[in-house]
Amino acid sequence: MPSVAIVDDEEPIRKALRRLLRASGIEAESYASGQEFLDAIAERRPDCLVLDLHMSGMGGLEVLRSLQSVKHKVPTVIITAHDEPETREQCLAAGACAYLRKPLEDRLLLNAISAAVRTRAVPLKR
Amino acid sequence: MNGEEVRALKSIRFDPSVLRAALLVGVGYYLAARLGFAFTLQPHPISTLWPPNALLMAALLLTPARAWWVLLSAALPAHLAAELQSGVPLAMVLGWFASNCSEALIGAGLVRAFVPAPLRLDSLRNAALFLLCGALAAPLASSFLDAAMVKLIGFGDSDYWTLVRTRASSNVLADLTVVPLVLTWATFRLERLRDAPPRRYVEVAAVFLGVLATSLVAFDLPLLDANAAPALFYAPLPFLLWAAVRLGPTGAASALALMVVVTIWGAVHGLGPFTGGAPQDTARDLQFFLISVAVPLLLLAVVLEERTRAEREAREQRLQLAHLSRVAMLGELSGGIAHELNQPLTAILANAQAAQHLLAAKRLGQEEMGEILRDIIAADQRASEVIRRLRALFKKGETQFQRLDANELVAEVLSITRGDLVMRGIETVTELAPAPPAIEGDRVQLEQVMLNLVLNACEAMSAGTPLGRRLTVRTQLLADGVQISFADRGPGFHPGEYEKMFTPFHTTKAQGLGLGLSISRSIIDAHGGRLWGTALPGRGATFFIVLPARPA
Repeated sequence: MPSVAIVDDEEPIRKALRRLLRASGIEAESYASGQEFLDAIAERRPDCLVLDLHMSGMGGLEVLRSLQSVKHKVPTVIITAHDEPETREQCLAAGACAYLRKPLEDRLLLNAISAAVRTRAVPLKR
Repeated sequence: MNGEEVRALKSIRFDPSVLRAALLVGVGYYLAARLGFAFTLQPHPISTLWPPNALLMAALLLTPARAWWVLLSAALPAHLAAELQSGVPLAMVLGWFASNCSEALIGAGLVRAFVPAPLRLDSLRNAALFLLCGALAAPLASSFLDAAMVKLIGFGDSDYWTLVRTRASSNVLADLTVVPLVLTWATFRLERLRDAPPRRYVEVAAVFLGVLATSLVAFDLPLLDANAAPALFYAPLPFLLWAAVRLGPTGAASALALMVVVTIWGAVHGLGPFTGGAPQDTARDLQFFLISVAVPLLLLAVVLEERTRAEREAREQRLQLAHLSRVAMLGELSGGIAHELNQPLTAILANAQAAQHLLAAKRLGQEEMGEILRDIIAADQRASEVIRRLRALFKKGETQFQRLDANELVAEVLSITRGDLVMRGIETVTELAPAPPAIEGDRVQLEQVMLNLVLNACEAMSAGTPLGRRLTVRTQLLADGVQISFADRGPGFHPGEYEKMFTPFHTTKAQGLGLGLSISRSIIDAHGGRLWGTALPGRGATFFIVLPARPA
């Protein structure tokens, strides 16, 4: 069972996504901010990160860049309630595996997560 | 003759509105003539007030010139029916009809030359035009013709100049009394009566009862000492002024007509301060008095009406401009609004799909189902709240002053702009004074001002800031009011730019009309407050709103 971390600054969304992933047989933990997640990552590294782009305080793009810089490669699915072409480009350039618009269609999210998990699985086999 | 010509001819002949006007003129002319006879001081042959000519003039002023001949034709049988009863020779009756028509035609023709449309007594220009052409030039000019015909036909034994003077003053008074009455009532919108609140009816009744009572006391009751009479002339004045100030030209013309009728009725019955001498002296004094009341009263009513209308138009324009500016802000907010609606939609969809997965796997318990439904409802309510706030802010409406809490306004505006602030990566810090005193104002307008300041701050920080993007909103208590400030960490502004920011249509934004700050300042001014900004170039700008406290 893959483990997924959810980072979103809104509790109702964290709760709903947690519920959706668990109902689909995925182990899900959630964090209210990017910092909270980065602090926890040393002890518990998920197979995939579902990361909100627009959060008060540290934004998703910043989290993504810190993950790159500290070499903590966690395959990341970006989710956003406000889609702009340039931010999509920025996220993909910063290493995001997928970029999804909210509201999230469950199939799209689950496919993106399993694709992301597979990218992680490859280096492990090597 | 082709079909189109036939239709054109029919449309001239059978225009129902012209026929209706002709019928009204015929009946009105006859009744007005009967009234004129009733207002004649026997044995003086000329009525104190002769209304048929004035009625005809008013009818012409309201109709297109091509229909005038129809109205004049309709007056002829009425004229014959009224005059032939009085035993006047036919030649004289026809002569008078010609002079009556000439007065109406001269007055209406002169006015129409300047105002090429039905005359409305709603501007000083139109009122002055009516007074000069309709109530002065027309009766004077036609009086010469009238007197000449009387002498030519040899009816009566008055001399020429006496005839001119008595005819002229009788007709001037009739024009001043009847024409404004007909013009204002003909264009009166009956919905105004329907929409009026009950206290308006009470006021109108008080005005007219007041005019009636004071006119009766001053001009009809034999109980008063003749020496006291001159002072009593002023008794109806307060009610006439009340009518002019509060009821507009329609009310003033109606109140005046009431006083004129009561006064002349008294004189005809040998009552009131004007009687006692020769009938022609009574008529002259009475006419002079009533004319000198009528002219300033009508002018006053029209000037006030014009000013009220101008104020109303200016107020409506300000409201429209403010609304336009709010709608322009909606464009700036749209991204943030989409964000704020997508968040609860995300929660709703994820919860519903989680339930589907659980249901398919037969793992959905009662308790979990209840919790999912509760979460869906909460998210739905949040989305409705976003829409409710937006609708409240962008609705179009009259200014509504009420007691407000500055902190609540700040919270409301920050919740509307939350999506924008988050999307732009702006951290929002609020420092709210505990329990600030109530302020009084229009919620939508004050939120508009704050929204404008928040959006300006967002814009100022869009290029990124060395210290990190942060908006600090503070409410502070002052000795006699509440100060609300919005501090950004943008580039600030230079003193030279400051006044330009408050100039309409000055903008540095890609979107927006450049009306924000100028409208904001006029809104805050209208609330008795102040709006200003300070800046440290390179370190940020702060805008302040101070609103006076309105303790309960």
